[in-house]
Amino acid sequence: MPPRDTLPAATRSICPHCGAGLDAELIERDGRVILRRECPEHGVIEALAYGDSGRWRDAQRYDRPGAAPLLRQTATDRGCPHDCGICPEHAQHTCLGIIEVNTGCNLDCPVCFADSGTGHQPDGYSLSLAQVESMLDSFVAAEGAPEAVQLSGGEPSIHPEILDMLAAATAREIPLVMLNTNGIRLARDARFAPALAALGIHVYLQFDGFDDATHLAIRGRRLQEIKQAALDRCAAAGVGVSLAAAVERGINEHELGAIVRFGVEHPAVNGVFFQPVTHTGRHPAFDPLDRLTNVEVIRGLCAQLPEWFREDDFVAVPCCSPTCRSATYALYDGEDLVPLPRLVDIDRYLGFVTNRAVPDVEVASALAGLFSASAAGGTERTGDRLECVACGVGLPEQLQRIAARGFMVVAQDFQDEWTLDVGKLRKCCVGEIVPDGRIIPFCAYNAAGYRTQVRADLAARASA
Amino acid sequence: MTGGLADDDLKACCAQLYESDAVRWLLDGELHPGGERLSLRLAELAGVGPGRRVVDVACGSGDTALLLARELGCEAVGVDLGAGAIAQARHAARPGDRVSFLVGDAETLPLPDASFDVALSECSLCMFPDKPRAIAEMARVVRAGGTIAIADVTADLDALPAALRTAAAQVACVADARSADEYVALLRDAGCEPLAIEPHDADLRAMADRVEARLRVARMVAAPGEQRERVREAAALARMAIEAIARGSLGYALMTVRV
Repeated sequence: MPPRDTLPAATRSICPHCGAGLDAELIERDGRVILRRECPEHGVIEALAYGDSGRWRDAQRYDRPGAAPLLRQTATDRGCPHDCGICPEHAQHTCLGIIEVNTGCNLDCPVCFADSGTGHQPDGYSLSLAQVESMLDSFVAAEGAPEAVQLSGGEPSIHPEILDMLAAATAREIPLVMLNTNGIRLARDARFAPALAALGIHVYLQFDGFDDATHLAIRGRRLQEIKQAALDRCAAAGVGVSLAAAVERGINEHELGAIVRFGVEHPAVNGVFFQPVTHTGRHPAFDPLDRLTNVEVIRGLCAQLPEWFREDDFVAVPCCSPTCRSATYALYDGEDLVPLPRLVDIDRYLGFVTNRAVPDVEVASALAGLFSASAAGGTERTGDRLECVACGVGLPEQLQRIAARGFMVVAQDFQDEWTLDVGKLRKCCVGEIVPDGRIIPFCAYNAAGYRTQVRADLAARASA
Repeated sequence: MTGGLADDDLKACCAQLYESDAVRWLLDGELHPGGERLSLRLAELAGVGPGRRVVDVACGSGDTALLLARELGCEAVGVDLGAGAIAQARHAARPGDRVSFLVGDAETLPLPDASFDVALSECSLCMFPDKPRAIAEMARVVRAGGTIAIADVTADLDALPAALRTAAAQVACVADARSADEYVALLRDAGCEPLAIEPHDADLRAMADRVEARLRVARMVAAPGEQRERVREAAALARMAIEAIARGSLGYALMTVRV
């Protein structure tokens, strides 16, 4: 697919009602980018793809060619997104692999793209340690030296073998092993955080805000005390945490600044990931033309924390499609916070400015690593890369040490049935590893029917 | 206007300041807004090309003189009051570069009359205490029909807060800056004919942003006490400058006149 930096742009999508593959178009309307297609059965379907057409065009400069994985598991047959696994048409390797170890959960959240819960899933499953080991091996075979893996669910912390599964990932020398959790076990089980610390696990903690209304709307329960207790246990054990906030229009968009401010003050937290709610699985009623994208999330954050952030502090991440993820790193010392892109001319190093040689290849590669889907704040690898950048751009030595403790803020807009854009999907670098060894781009897994298939398949085998 | 510093002290202070590593770091190696891009644009406006003789007045460590000689094929002479800067410039020159560097005062250039096609000066006129004198010197060393090209901070001084008009701000090219029209009037008073005024405020904004951010991280590592407070004040000054740029009372412009 040729690079696209003008609108309208041709792509393919699906019908959110029947799943049919459809020709589609990205069009500009009122300064925003809309994904538009027409289903023979369900008519014209439109959804907001990106909240600012000027920024959309600007972000395309960051769309760099991807790197091939070592292995492709499927053949191209029906066309994207129906051959996932990864097929020969996919244009990127997998920076971050996700393994959903179960569908069971100790919450029944009103918002859950994975449609997990405490027992109402007839097609639920729980993987064995052997299955997870074989999936990790598939990931290693596909990537050679994978950068990052996340064990997720369901709620992975309630799986009886979760620590062995995490240990299996670290044993394969994957530098960043994350546990995606709601924090309930961390809060209740005093031994859990120390066990994660012993394995060097990074926690990806659901954390949507502070208001009762936010908790009730997104999680169905007031979890503020549990989140605080989980974080305090992580801090005491020395476990690094990224806060992951599901953000929804009209629910918690006013809490973006408060979440970041809380994160930078809490000793366990070294990053915040804002994820506009993916309208797949369980979700509240929504208007596809008034959903949140990275643009609205970043604008909201900057409006709530103008003393710390402005829009151009966020860099479109070049490894996936540039409108999927925007990120920044910031230096914080307890009094002030300064975003790294204000100190370093990132365009110059990532080679986006034409007619200019990359000044320092090592710094450029460190920056590429920082602005990728495999990065999390506070990890050793991130610290090393930040230090390399700080040194390479001539920050004095004391500043390099501060830089190495950088705090990360990310906006990550995953796709759903409404927003699925094959042009973006082909560049996806977040992959769901499934038990048969396929690696399915995360948004295809959620939006193109793979989640349902995999679950039905696993449930059928369990009952056979 | 000079906040208690005698004019000679002020000139020496400026010259030394721009030689320091700390200042180079604060400015990220770009000692004036727009960096090489606006240096080349200024030279383009002045018609600099192969065979032309160009003098860079207050050339610092010679980056622009070397750039123009190498990129545009002209012959360049750099003059600066800082002996250290001139030594650095000479060190940076390679055999074959058609450049030479001299220690000298912009108000009494050590150069013969009518010996250049172009005199240019970047981000310096604003700092010269006796501007008419410095302009007269540039006009003297350029041949009739040649060009004087100025890149400088422009300011509506009456609209600036007092703190931005002190000696500390003068070395940062703010306190004694003028509006583009006033600079051109000074040049016209010296008998020159105005050619072009090209505003580039966004480049000044980007530079002020960079400096402000770097001062804020410098504050994080400064020794507690007096040093930290001075860095904090400098960062506050940079913020004031950013606000002034946003209001339009501070800017950056390229200006050319015919001698």
